[in-house]
Order: sequence, then C-alpha cells, then structure tokens
Amino acid sequence: MYKLLVNPMTGQPAPFILRVADNAYIPMDEANTDYQAYLKWLEAGNTPLPADTGA
Amino acid sequence: MAYGTVSADIIQSSVQGVSLGAGNASIMKNRIINGAMVIDQRNAGASVTANDGVFPVDRFSFSMTQSSKGTGQQNQGSVTPPVGFSNYLGFTSSSAYSVLSSDQFAIRQYIEGFNTADLGFGTANAKTITLSFQVYSSLTGTFGGALQNNAANRSYPFTYSIPVANTWTSVSITVAGDTTGTWVGATNGIGLRVFLSLGMGSTSSGTAGAWAGANYQSATGATSVVGTNGATFYITGVQLEVGSSATGFEYRQYGQELALCQRYYQYAGNGTSGTVLYGFPGNASSNFRVLQVNMPVAMRTAPTVTYTSSGAGTFGTFYADTNFFNALSNAGNTTSDNNIYGYKASAEL
Repeated sequence: MYKLLVNPMTGQPAPFILRVADNAYIPMDEANTDYQAYLKWLEAGNTPLPADTGA
Repeated sequence: MAYGTVSADIIQSSVQGVSLGAGNASIMKNRIINGAMVIDQRNAGASVTANDGVFPVDRFSFSMTQSSKGTGQQNQGSVTPPVGFSNYLGFTSSSAYSVLSSDQFAIRQYIEGFNTADLGFGTANAKTITLSFQVYSSLTGTFGGALQNNAANRSYPFTYSIPVANTWTSVSITVAGDTTGTWVGATNGIGLRVFLSLGMGSTSSGTAGAWAGANYQSATGATSVVGTNGATFYITGVQLEVGSSATGFEYRQYGQELALCQRYYQYAGNGTSGTVLYGFPGNASSNFRVLQVNMPVAMRTAPTVTYTSSGAGTFGTFYADTNFFNALSNAGNTTSDNNIYGYKASAEL
C-alpha cells in the first residue's frame, strides 16, 4: 500500500510517495525502481491512500 | 601492435606483448561490483531470508518467485574461501521444492548502463565478454545462468559444471556479444543483467550457448539448488570483463569498492538511540524543522529514504537528489526532542 503526501510547509503535493509497509519515502523519479514498482501497482488498478490534509 | 599503438580500446604497452584495455584493462576491467563479496552494508554478515529483491551482500540480490525457499548470507557456513578471497556469498535451500514452470530462483546482479555501454551490445561492434567466478556447492552436476538485457527480451543462457561437491571450482563462460536487440547505452538504467540460477522453471530456461529473443534466466536442464533441502551454493570472485578469456580477478581497495556500492545503497547511523544523527529540538515555535543530508557518494538516482527515529513528530523527505536529501520533522512535538537515529537510502537498479 502506498500513500500520497503533501509538503506540510507549503500544502502542495509532495514529489514523494510513502510506501506504508516500511515508511519509505519514494521520489517520483522514473529511474527509481521503487517508483517504477509504484507505477506498476497503479497500472494494476490500485489506488493509493489520500494525503493527510492540513498536516 | 607496436608500442604506443592505439586501436579503439586497446593500447600497446612498452612491455612486448602486453597491451592495456579490453581484457587487459588496468581499471574498470571487472564490470561486476562487489564481486569478492566484501561489502555487506545492509546485513553486516547476518543471515537473511532469500526473498525476491533481498540483498544478501551489496549489489547481489535474489530473484525469487516463491518466498522463504532458502537463506542467504555473507560467508554462510564458514567454509574456507578460495585462495585469494576472504569472503563469499552463500545460499542454502530450506526445503526440497519442486520448481514450477513459471518459477525463477537466482542470484543476480544488474549492471548499470554507464558501465556496459562500451560493450556495444545491439550493434555490429558488440564485444566478446567473459564471465568468471568461483563456485562451491553440496551438489554436483550442470548448473545454469544467463545474461540479459534491460527489456528482458534478449537472453544468453549458459551452463557450467560443478564436478566435485564441497570444493571450490573455477568457472569461465565466454559470450560473443549480442549484435541485435535493444540494449541500454550510457545511462543510469540497466545495461546488463547477470543471473546465476538456483532453480529455474521451463518458461525461463532456454538453450545454452546462444542469444535468444526471450526472457531466459538459465539454461534448460540445469540443476535446481532449491530442489534439495539443505543444499548449499556459494560464489565469489565474480568478474565480467571484455575479452575471450578470464583474467585474474580485479581486486579493489576496500574504500573504492564501498564507494562503488554506495552509488546504489548507503546508510548512516545504526538505528539505535546511542547514535543520534540529527536532533530536532522541541519547544520551538515552528512545527517544522528541516535538515539537509549530504551523502558521501552521489547515488544512481534520487533515492528511496527510510528513517529510524524517535519523538512524537513524524519524519519525512520533501526533496531528494542524487547527492542530498532534505529530512523533515513534521507535526511538531513541542515538548520533547525528535531525533533521527539513522537513515537508509536506496537507488538500486
């Protein structure tokens, strides 16, 4: 499972995905293999948890 | 060639008959990183369950379609390494598993495109390469492996023999470079995959000794290590070099090998409270504190970062590049400090 993130200082979407299982912060960089795995997970029809609001 | 003659990637030295470059390269001869299994940043020599994607030592990982079919460890079993080596990578099967047609069990290393581009694979100028290593197993027979491109649609299955059980055997496999197919060039993507099979289903096994337009990770008929409970498979001295014969293993200084590994994985702090890497003080007016972490070696790409930390605040990363990232203390703990005890950064292929 993954979770979207916001930059709490700006309130804007963060360029990172949280991998919930190990609290890993995955950059949205297509050369990052963890991000590639996230994209495949999305392609399989999965949906990440929404970002916390107002954090 | 006469002294000083330069021919593409070969230079004739002042010593008659001795050339530099190609198979005699004085640097970057071995395209494998950590081939002597010296560096183990993740586990410090501890045993790990050989699940898919797990690294028992740096740069070598398991390719496993089934979980918990064995364990991996640096110097597993404490046998005497082959002459010239102090370390090896060990795998021990934990069951007698019958491999399914779709199964894949292997030790693998993915080599970055920047380190294979000169091989010219996918062109008429593809170079011949030689893979060599030392292997030790409780089993005997014909074993297998394969070379493969990034897209997993060009593969070269190979076989090798282990004639005597529990004895180090030198293996050398020469492969004429692939002149067709699409291969990643000088980029930070996967330039070449190297597989040493521990048991391979028929779907991922092909005819040895020829390039094929398929996803093969071993050769048909190769021995299955996972098929025997307690079977061992140890390797070290893994080298992949240009040329048609295996030359002496390219030893590297420890710091050099570590730095090469840190391009793909690095950490700081041992994750216990005795090693506070970064302290974010409490009782501050702001809920957010930011720290820039500069990494000792630039990584292959922006890394995935995990933290070991304490405190009521949460930690995160809001920016990462190849040579630094920003750690963030969030949702302020205003009564006590928040500390980071360690971080791990991964940019593996």
